[in-house]
Amino acid sequence: MEGGVELRAPRGEVGRHPAAPRDGKLLSSDVTHYMIPDWKVVQDYLEILEFPELKGIIFMQTACQTLQHQRGRRQYNKLRHLLKDARHDCVLFANEFQQQCYHPRERGESMEKWQTRSIYRAAVWYYHHCQDKMPIVMVTEDEEAVQQYGSETEGVFVISFKNYLDNFWPDLKAAHELCDSILQSRRERENESQESHGKEYTEHLPLEVLEAGIKSGRYIQGVLNVNKHRAQIEAFVRLQGASCKDSGLVSDILVHGMKARNRSIHGDVVVVELLPKNEWKGRTAALCENDSDDKALGDPPSEPMPTGKVVGILQKNWRDYVVTFPSKEEVQSQGKNAQKILVTPWDNRIPKIRISTQQTEALQDFRVVVRIDSWESTSLYPNGHFVRVLGRIGDLEGEIATILVENSISVVPFSEAQMCEMPVNTPENPWKVSPEEERERKDLRETHLVFSIDPKGCEDVDDTLSVRTLANGNLELGVHIADVTHFVPPNSYIDIEARTRAITYYLADRRYDMLPSILSADLCSLLGGVDRYAVSVIWELDKTSYEIKTVWYGRTIIRSAYKLFYEAAQELLDGNFHIVDDIPEFRDLDEKSRQAKLEELVWAIGKLTEIARHIRAKRDRCGALELEGVEIRVQLDEKKNIHDLIPRQPLEVHETVAECMILANHWVAKKIWESFPHQALLRQHPPPQQEFFSELRECAKAKGFFIDTRSNKTLADSLDNANDPNDPIVNRLLRSMATQAMSNALYFSTGSCAEEEFHHYGLALDKYTHFTSPIRRYSDIVVHRLLMAAISKDKKMEIKDNLLSSKDLEELCRHINNRNRAAQHSQKQSMELFQCMYFKDKDPENEARCISDGVIYSIRTNGVLVFIPRFGIKGAAYLRNKDGLVISCGSDSRSEWKPGSLQRFQNKITSTTTGGESVTFHLFDHVTVRISAQASRCHSDTIRLEIISNKPYLIPDKELFHQSSLLLKSDLVKEVTRSVEEAQLAQEVKVNVIQEDYQKYCQTKGRSLYTLLEEIRDLALLDVSNSYGM
Amino acid sequence: MAGLELLSDQGYRVDGRRAGELRKIQARMGVFAQADGSAYIEQGNTKALAVVYGPHEIRGSRARALPDRALVNCQYSSATFSTGERKRRPHGDRKSCEMGLQLRQTFEAAILTQLHPRSQIDIYVQVLQADGGTYAACVNAATLAVLDAGVPMRDFVCACSAGFVDSTALADLSHVEEAAGGPQLALALLPASGQIALLEMDARLHEDHLESVLEAAARAARDVHTLLDRVVRQHVREASVLLGD
Repeated sequence: MEGGVELRAPRGEVGRHPAAPRDGKLLSSDVTHYMIPDWKVVQDYLEILEFPELKGIIFMQTACQTLQHQRGRRQYNKLRHLLKDARHDCVLFANEFQQQCYHPRERGESMEKWQTRSIYRAAVWYYHHCQDKMPIVMVTEDEEAVQQYGSETEGVFVISFKNYLDNFWPDLKAAHELCDSILQSRRERENESQESHGKEYTEHLPLEVLEAGIKSGRYIQGVLNVNKHRAQIEAFVRLQGASCKDSGLVSDILVHGMKARNRSIHGDVVVVELLPKNEWKGRTAALCENDSDDKALGDPPSEPMPTGKVVGILQKNWRDYVVTFPSKEEVQSQGKNAQKILVTPWDNRIPKIRISTQQTEALQDFRVVVRIDSWESTSLYPNGHFVRVLGRIGDLEGEIATILVENSISVVPFSEAQMCEMPVNTPENPWKVSPEEERERKDLRETHLVFSIDPKGCEDVDDTLSVRTLANGNLELGVHIADVTHFVPPNSYIDIEARTRAITYYLADRRYDMLPSILSADLCSLLGGVDRYAVSVIWELDKTSYEIKTVWYGRTIIRSAYKLFYEAAQELLDGNFHIVDDIPEFRDLDEKSRQAKLEELVWAIGKLTEIARHIRAKRDRCGALELEGVEIRVQLDEKKNIHDLIPRQPLEVHETVAECMILANHWVAKKIWESFPHQALLRQHPPPQQEFFSELRECAKAKGFFIDTRSNKTLADSLDNANDPNDPIVNRLLRSMATQAMSNALYFSTGSCAEEEFHHYGLALDKYTHFTSPIRRYSDIVVHRLLMAAISKDKKMEIKDNLLSSKDLEELCRHINNRNRAAQHSQKQSMELFQCMYFKDKDPENEARCISDGVIYSIRTNGVLVFIPRFGIKGAAYLRNKDGLVISCGSDSRSEWKPGSLQRFQNKITSTTTGGESVTFHLFDHVTVRISAQASRCHSDTIRLEIISNKPYLIPDKELFHQSSLLLKSDLVKEVTRSVEEAQLAQEVKVNVIQEDYQKYCQTKGRSLYTLLEEIRDLALLDVSNSYGM
Repeated sequence: MAGLELLSDQGYRVDGRRAGELRKIQARMGVFAQADGSAYIEQGNTKALAVVYGPHEIRGSRARALPDRALVNCQYSSATFSTGERKRRPHGDRKSCEMGLQLRQTFEAAILTQLHPRSQIDIYVQVLQADGGTYAACVNAATLAVLDAGVPMRDFVCACSAGFVDSTALADLSHVEEAAGGPQLALALLPASGQIALLEMDARLHEDHLESVLEAAARAARDVHTLLDRVVRQHVREASVLLGD
């Protein structure tokens, strides 16, 4: 028996020896006591035990097992993660496996009593084990235990949880509040179960029945998806895996109404039973606003689809929810039970939550985080408790915090322990290449011309390129990626933090880095003129055919000669050498050496482009399955941001760099897959489902195009052909629809699926991974480690790092994919937030900026969906308003609301007034819309579109948005300097700066353009006031 | 069984063992006076009894006699009360036939059969309680019984099972671990030479992992050998004391 394995000498000080391996966690010795929670405390107060401030917690195995049995897998996994997480100072003690701590249950002893006794005995043992030096506090909810054991052993204290918090953590206010809130909700629940009046919902079936039912095909299992726009009524169950094939159902299953949804919440894994065919319903095709009832729409629903009701929940997907308290008037109307408040979640797919608190008044205008505790069948709404306050409603910081919580993103500043692991690079103590590394790495500093091409102002350069002619006349192409793994050893604090974050989050106005800036912007960034560690992939290419002859992978030292930006590189490529003045590296050279160096660089860029062109052509030819179009491809691959469709300036260098990166990713994917066939991390892009393309095909037909979606090649070709010479927007919209129909690319572990599924649809490659951005993505760090291990394997060296097993890797991939999705959502939501804030300050009636040109891209029964190229906004515009009036356009094409009727056809919608006037809107028609922001108290604000004319909007600077966004920006800058007005303009700039950022996916500098402009504005105001003063 | 965690994050198995640990083994030789050799073994809660008769003349049909070596006849049975579910297990059902054949194969490889041509050696094994690793317990019990009978063998035959959970090889699976449905491998080893007398696995396991599982089973079998050796020496010591009197 090796019971006390976790009990090796307590750790010295945190973060002192960052390099020391930590295969198990150790409790720190610099605490005043160790705390041992009783089983009941672990069950009820786990959330509080999760506070990082509480240190020195020992979880007993007995308590953990009780938690597993009583609270299920989810809670238990939470505890497991807590124990694994090196940042939390807690350990598990397997007391039942320890000879002296194991006490068999006595005759007649109740389970609870035995558990408490076991835990207490283990605590006493532990106390003696630490040589009576460290006092131990056992925290229990059992009053008798406090009585019984309280004074039995000196040095082992037994107190209640409330008491513990009061005595040891009087300052930890958040924990106290949470504790109160948990206590209260528990009390409520007890009361309620006593009352237990009429049932609101049918009971869930027991698990065995559900499992048997799923097996026999009677029930169907799937994930519940609530319709965002009709959260009260419509939800769909997306089928999972096998059940989909068996039942012969192709579409999702509709769950109509809250009763049928039976207490399941968006994201839960539920079991549904199909209703008889005569009760099937159709989905509503009409546009409707969230809060308005379905009664208002008299439209016949579309054809019936399989409809079912939820009979049980297999897995609850409850998380933290951001909610808003009802305003004062609403509280009064809720009336009698003032302590129980119905709060409205920010995400409108989540039902209202009932919480009990005395702080209603105080929390009135705040965004608040709550958790759901339970949902009894007797209660119309779920019960929850209050956790913490985020910020004021409408306040930018509060709203951003809301977006973060809703996407489960937690970004705290890097802790001291994490920063301790970081290398130092200060002017006094500059970082240097160490001699050992110099010996082990291939030195490319003198031999290779290495340079980087990035968006202007980019700080974290993770990729560089090189090309040269070898002695035998062949070419050598090199891709050099920042060696992040050198600085981030596996399972170090920083590694764990990076894994948790998984990606650098880009919000509209800020970013949350995955790695501390010392790495991301300095030591790992391959800046020009400094020595840096890199991981390189170097190919030898045939001099004429550019066939790849050999490939070399390994760690190198490089010194990037030039840090170019795209535009400059393009100019050099085109032979316009005037740009040379903008490149700082050339500035201090005399004419002659400058000429020589310039020629060298231009040759390299030219050669690179040629090679890239060739590789690309080859890929097109032999794979012959590729989505054409730079935008689309880049969107799928790097940006994944389908929202943004403003075309970036199509420079050839973009494509060159992208192609080199794809090549490197592809070869690394091949390498790690060969070395570790079932524990490599790759990236797949599954082929899309054909039925998702139907809308695209319909739309294209309206314009007379035919879209062939059978394979990625045919799709690409037909999208290329679907080009309306008069209206470039059409092609962009079609492409965006195609993108939307596709599934997302995902990371996966090669051990978890068959080799045929590795394929990347968008890039038409059999194997693909992410290797080239380790500063921004954790997946790349994992791939780097795999590649390093593969290299050592080839050299028959011992593999230093423990590689993740397929199962762990699969879990990690799920986590990274999940975080990626969260990053995209948060990016999109923050973007929308800014759009709304921008339009909120404007008076839509008179402000010229609120009126814009829009394109109709989808027809619904009572309105149309409109895309506004100017702002990249997509939204709904109604043709029938709430009073039942329809739109009509007079001879001057101004629109008015008049009584009448709507008639919807396949590709058009006609509005006829009672007066006989009629107006028809076709797909891809240009209309003029007025944009306004619709404020909402409980949810995020929304953009509202209103058609004010059926003619295209002719703005004086119409060509502006067709031109490069760069021009747009400079124009705006001029505008700002001209009229130093107010925040609106700055905001306008902000929005555009953001869009710009989005497109290029580069980072705002520490001082963004926005702050700079703000400063200019401030200065200007000062001048004005000064002149007044004089 | 979805909820059961066979190997905890701390590296403990359900019953508190580490991955490579054996269950407690207790054994006794010479439990029956009327048989030529007998032994009783407990591996954790798995209990098995083995009895050996022979070498003796061929019983029944003479035609079965082998001219150059002894015939090894193995019979396996398990008690009605041996499993959680009480169940009559008639002789000659498929499972016990298969087990008998496996035992026969194992012991034909270990016993020096060519020393006793035209004769027969009977090995009867009965499982009294089955809690995982019945084959291993049977082989270990039979080894002791054969030794007790004084039948010459190349070496001890030591058997142990091993499984594979969460990329870790587990030695000596208990019933709970077997029931979880992962791959299970049974290995009978001649420890001195390291030769394998029998290797059996009927689940799917990726070949890359096979080596580690095999290694775990072999290590466990060697550990079993150490224990059995101790039992035999103890038995001989006791017997010699008796003889000495």
